[in-house]
Amino acid sequence: MKFRKITGAVTLVTALALAGCAGGGGGAPTDGPGGTAAATLTIGAVVDITSWDPAQAHVGHALQPYQAPYDTLILREPDGTLSPMLATEWSYDEARTKLTLELRDDVTFSDGEAFDAEAVKANFDHFKAANGRQAAQLAAYESTEVVDEDTVVVNLSQADPAFEYYLSQAAGLMGSPAALDSAGIATDPVGSGPYVLDAAGSVAGSQYTFTAREDYWNPDLQKFGKVVFKVLTDPTARLNALVSGQVDTTLVDAQAITQAEGAGKELVAYQTDWAGLLLFDRDGVQVPALADVRVRQAINYALDRKTLLETLALGQGSTTAQVFGPDSGSYVDALDSAYPYDPEKAKALLDEAGFGDGFSFTVPTVAGFETILAVVGQQLADVGITMNSESVPPQNLVSDLGSGKFPAAFFFLFQGEPWVAINQIISTSALYNPFDSSTPELQKLIDAVQAGGDTSAELAKAVNTYVTENAWFAPLYRPNQILFVDPKKITATPQIQQAVPSIYNFAPVQ
Amino acid sequence: MVAFILKRLGAGIVLLVAIAVLTYALLFFSGTNIARNILGDMATDEQVALKQAELGLDQPLFTRFFGWAGSAVQGDLGTSWFSSEAVVQALATRLPVTLTLVIVSMTLVAVIATLLGMAAAVKGGWVDRVVQVGAVIGDAIPGFVLAIILVTVFAIQLGVFPAVSTISPGAGAAAWVASMTLPVIAIVINYVTSSAQQIRSAVIDQYRRDYVRTLRSRGISEREILFRHVLRSASPAGLTIISLQFIGLLGGVVIIEQIFALPGIGPLAINATALGDIPIVMGVVLVTVTVVIIVNLLVDLANGALNPKVRVS
Repeated sequence: MKFRKITGAVTLVTALALAGCAGGGGGAPTDGPGGTAAATLTIGAVVDITSWDPAQAHVGHALQPYQAPYDTLILREPDGTLSPMLATEWSYDEARTKLTLELRDDVTFSDGEAFDAEAVKANFDHFKAANGRQAAQLAAYESTEVVDEDTVVVNLSQADPAFEYYLSQAAGLMGSPAALDSAGIATDPVGSGPYVLDAAGSVAGSQYTFTAREDYWNPDLQKFGKVVFKVLTDPTARLNALVSGQVDTTLVDAQAITQAEGAGKELVAYQTDWAGLLLFDRDGVQVPALADVRVRQAINYALDRKTLLETLALGQGSTTAQVFGPDSGSYVDALDSAYPYDPEKAKALLDEAGFGDGFSFTVPTVAGFETILAVVGQQLADVGITMNSESVPPQNLVSDLGSGKFPAAFFFLFQGEPWVAINQIISTSALYNPFDSSTPELQKLIDAVQAGGDTSAELAKAVNTYVTENAWFAPLYRPNQILFVDPKKITATPQIQQAVPSIYNFAPVQ
Repeated sequence: MVAFILKRLGAGIVLLVAIAVLTYALLFFSGTNIARNILGDMATDEQVALKQAELGLDQPLFTRFFGWAGSAVQGDLGTSWFSSEAVVQALATRLPVTLTLVIVSMTLVAVIATLLGMAAAVKGGWVDRVVQVGAVIGDAIPGFVLAIILVTVFAIQLGVFPAVSTISPGAGAAAWVASMTLPVIAIVINYVTSSAQQIRSAVIDQYRRDYVRTLRSRGISEREILFRHVLRSASPAGLTIISLQFIGLLGGVVIIEQIFALPGIGPLAINATALGDIPIVMGVVLVTVTVVIIVNLLVDLANGALNPKVRVS
């Protein structure tokens, strides 16, 4: 009897729970009709926001959420054009170390403070002092002079061709000076942006809800009544949330395309990264063979990029032999076919260089790289090159790559602005040039880019050509970012050189 | 009894300190350049050096450990190196989610496994076979596969439950129940049958004892024998397996939390470990070890209360 009673109670509780959930949970977003100002945009975010302090803002995936509460000084259009936002116009002096910014005079922060020249100065100083996750963006920043209420002059220690671009990124996010130095800024963003954080709808590490700010100065950029970021670091969780309608847009793996399309979602594909080998040891410190340009070229000829793209990324992407992206302004069409698959030529080059019997080198590997390295290793083995892998903890990868511990490495790297790319992988101060490889010829080309002003991207084509012809790298392909949207609710325009579109690029379906 | 509890608590504190020292040392020697990880690949070497000094990463192991431990004994576990969130705060917001998931799941496992185990032992027949086969299947199917199957059926096809968590302060209890149901079911299916099998074995073992025969010969009803004597004597075995499962689940729940995007300790631990965020990792370790110590103590006390034979003097 007692046994039955207990069983009955368990059944009852389960049934109640199920019934309760069916009514309350549902899982379907509770939006207003699409195309109205009350529409909701729910984004499945790949990374969490660790702090809402603009000085701790990040790039790529992690910039997007900051665009809800914060405006940037400069707006980067989807095609990369820099347009006025909080700064109405800007210009450099001749040496390109003084940047004058004219500011809007009709903007207030969500705490009521006015946005003005003093606020810009406070933000730059705060960003510099905080030494946050994108401190690199203000590496050249020295000081700000307040000229008048709506004019500042930013002093740089040296010309930085990417500085204006940075003002559309983390370094350009403007927070209320009254909030910047308070502890609260980490959890409660106070900016002049189109949305304000709704604490009741937010849970750290899980979900951030923003509601439209009343009287926002630029209604054209405020397309939704509510924007929700759901943090979904797991790819399966993102796919499930997308297919079940819990998010309107998110990134998924190439393997998930069929399922997402089957659920009526629309693919928006674009490219932001390149994948390939960085042949660091160009002076032959650890692996003498790599000092010979013919050997590095042989590696490039040994790679069947088309097959690699098909096998490893299900054809989602484009093969490439250069590290500068099509949107960088420094892309050279012809370079993409600089090294067609030709194992015979690879063997001949190795022979010519005196390494006909082959040689070996070691690359670091982390979880997720195993398959790629196995396939690439097989293709290299076919021409007599042995590529060994050594496991490193994922948290050590970046510093290991930058420390000169390995003669080469496989990696996915962001294809950004030319000056950013140069300082990431090519110049002697670049982290991913651990052996400080350089030649006077290359240095001259880099100097020209730095001083090039508006023509710097064009001038960087020469840098691109140099490193490709000298086989500094062995790029494989540019993988597609697989972004899906719910076409019944929203549209999305890709943002060049950004892992996910800016929030302004989403719009409700009319 | 009080002496026993104090002794166990003392041993627990020694264990906690030992694990803290060991974990800190392991993290220290893992050789991660955390400042570089924080600042990314574009930062200059000067910026990295500045960050290292700011976080005290340029200090020797002992200075760093005692600095951390000194604050920790006062309840201050420091702040995350990647966000400026206080570790205590980060744990306080995430621990309730994980504990709710684990406690609700294990309570259900305990109740259902006891019922199934008893039924299998007493009734035999098909109930017994279901438990036997179910134990193998439940153990063989990984929790995350079950989770994906449940999401596909109940969230995507039927739309009864959300596929990922909808928990937020303003969402109320309904969101909690809805978000927790599928993860709890996944865990219960995964764990219940193996516990049931253990309880079944323990009950059968007790039935073979002489005292049961004696009780029967005295005319005591089968129901009384089962509930008052057999179950009581079989309970230590059941409690032990459930406490082991509870402790195992504290780690196993990480994957379930990832799949259902539940804002628990799991994603926090994974992120912090991948980034090398030592204050958070240490916080998670301390909390987990503390929970394990408490659970073990409670199981010992419960065993003592249920079975005089294992009661400590």
